[in-house]
Amino acid sequence: MEIVAIDQISPDQVILFAWGFVRINATLVYTWLIMGLLVIGSIAITGNLSTERTLSRWQNLLEVIVGTIRSEIREIAHEGTDTYFPFIATLFLFILFSNLFTFIPGYVAPTSSLTTTAAMAIMVFIAVPMYGIAKNGILEYLKEYFRPTFIFFPFHVMGEFSRTLALAVRLFGNLMSHEKVIAILLAVTPLFFPVVMQALGLLIGIIQAYIFAILAMVYIASATQTHEEAGHKPKKDTEAVKIQ
Amino acid sequence: MHIDWFVFLCQIVNLLLLLWLLKKFLYGRIIQAMDAREAKIAATFEEAEKAREAARAAEDQYGERLRRLEAEYEAMMNRAREEAEIRRKEMLDLARAEVDKLQARWIETIRSERDAFLQELRRMAGTQIYAITRRVLKDLADVDLEKRIVEILMERIETMDEAERRKFRDSIAEGGPVIVQSAFDIPPDEQRKLDEAIHRHIAGGAEVVFERTDDVMTGYELKSDGHKIAWSIKDYVDSLEEKFYHALYEEAQEKR
Repeated sequence: MEIVAIDQISPDQVILFAWGFVRINATLVYTWLIMGLLVIGSIAITGNLSTERTLSRWQNLLEVIVGTIRSEIREIAHEGTDTYFPFIATLFLFILFSNLFTFIPGYVAPTSSLTTTAAMAIMVFIAVPMYGIAKNGILEYLKEYFRPTFIFFPFHVMGEFSRTLALAVRLFGNLMSHEKVIAILLAVTPLFFPVVMQALGLLIGIIQAYIFAILAMVYIASATQTHEEAGHKPKKDTEAVKIQ
Repeated sequence: MHIDWFVFLCQIVNLLLLLWLLKKFLYGRIIQAMDAREAKIAATFEEAEKAREAARAAEDQYGERLRRLEAEYEAMMNRAREEAEIRRKEMLDLARAEVDKLQARWIETIRSERDAFLQELRRMAGTQIYAITRRVLKDLADVDLEKRIVEILMERIETMDEAERRKFRDSIAEGGPVIVQSAFDIPPDEQRKLDEAIHRHIAGGAEVVFERTDDVMTGYELKSDGHKIAWSIKDYVDSLEEKFYHALYEEAQEKR
């Protein structure tokens, strides 16, 4: 089985099991692998958590990750950190670990599949109005589409779709292109150079995980903060656009 | 580059499942542990702050106590110094008084010893002078000293001026005897001559009494109720005593 052939740039193409509509491909398998790893790792580490001043290295690492995510969310959302935290953290951790294991030969990140990134983008697309409505009510949320005037309604709708598309394609494009480049380089110069590119790939993977999570949070924040900040756009949104 | 809708749905389910699992096994637990530890650390800090406040209060209290003790110590030391100074002065005064007393006593003793010595010297010197004079006169001029003394007395009686003689007479008239006192026994002949001379030149009917004194210094004395004629070797002895005293004093000064 050759997973990363030039003509097979997506793990979706690698069908491991098919039965009618049901088709188990590499994307799903690797997704379950990452999920299993995350869940087992979490259970292992949180099994004996210490509330004393001294703590294990793994707990310390986990606390640093969780603490950093929480503080990032707090900076953007200002309030309700713990409400958004599980969703944002799950996206971040899943993308991060999916991307980090790309240095293992034979492994293909599930995030390099457009299906996965589209699924995550759709989740963000649904989560944004859900959080917005939960926070401000459906009426207030819908009013936002007609601000500053009703003329902006189609642009708002287009914005919603286009940013969802951008979310999906950005992550998929970065990961897929990276793997494609690695595959080409392996064929052309099999020594040294692909290693450097692999290292660069790790960096890209981390950055992409961060961007995806931050953008998701910014979209949610912009939907939940409409009422308080009506009249001017959230600052973080502007910053997030720059990151894109 | 197409989307597999079965996989798409599966991924949504997967992610939702992952969210639920992580929420259950990771976020809740880790956040709880973090919060618990933060609370514990905050409590520890609070306790430390309280302990520090208490320590500061105790430090202030002890500092105040120490300052008070130092002030008391200083006051006590000053008082003790003053008392010691007073006591020292008292003891010095006492010692000085004692020394003065001892010195006075010593000086008194020295002085009385000196007086006794000089008295003894005077007595001995008088006796010796008298004896030597008698002997010299006897050896060189064959003259008896006592006899010569009586002669001189008689000369004095005979050559006495009228005013002095009147004084004697006046005192004799009041009823007093004429006393002739000498350091030696006047022989009876000489006594008779003297008696006659007194009766002739001073008082006719007066009673004349001859007395012997142990003091060789005396020489002779003719006296009657406040008036007297006398010769004595006392002046010679006084001169000797004075010279002797000076000689002793100078020697003592040199030794010092």
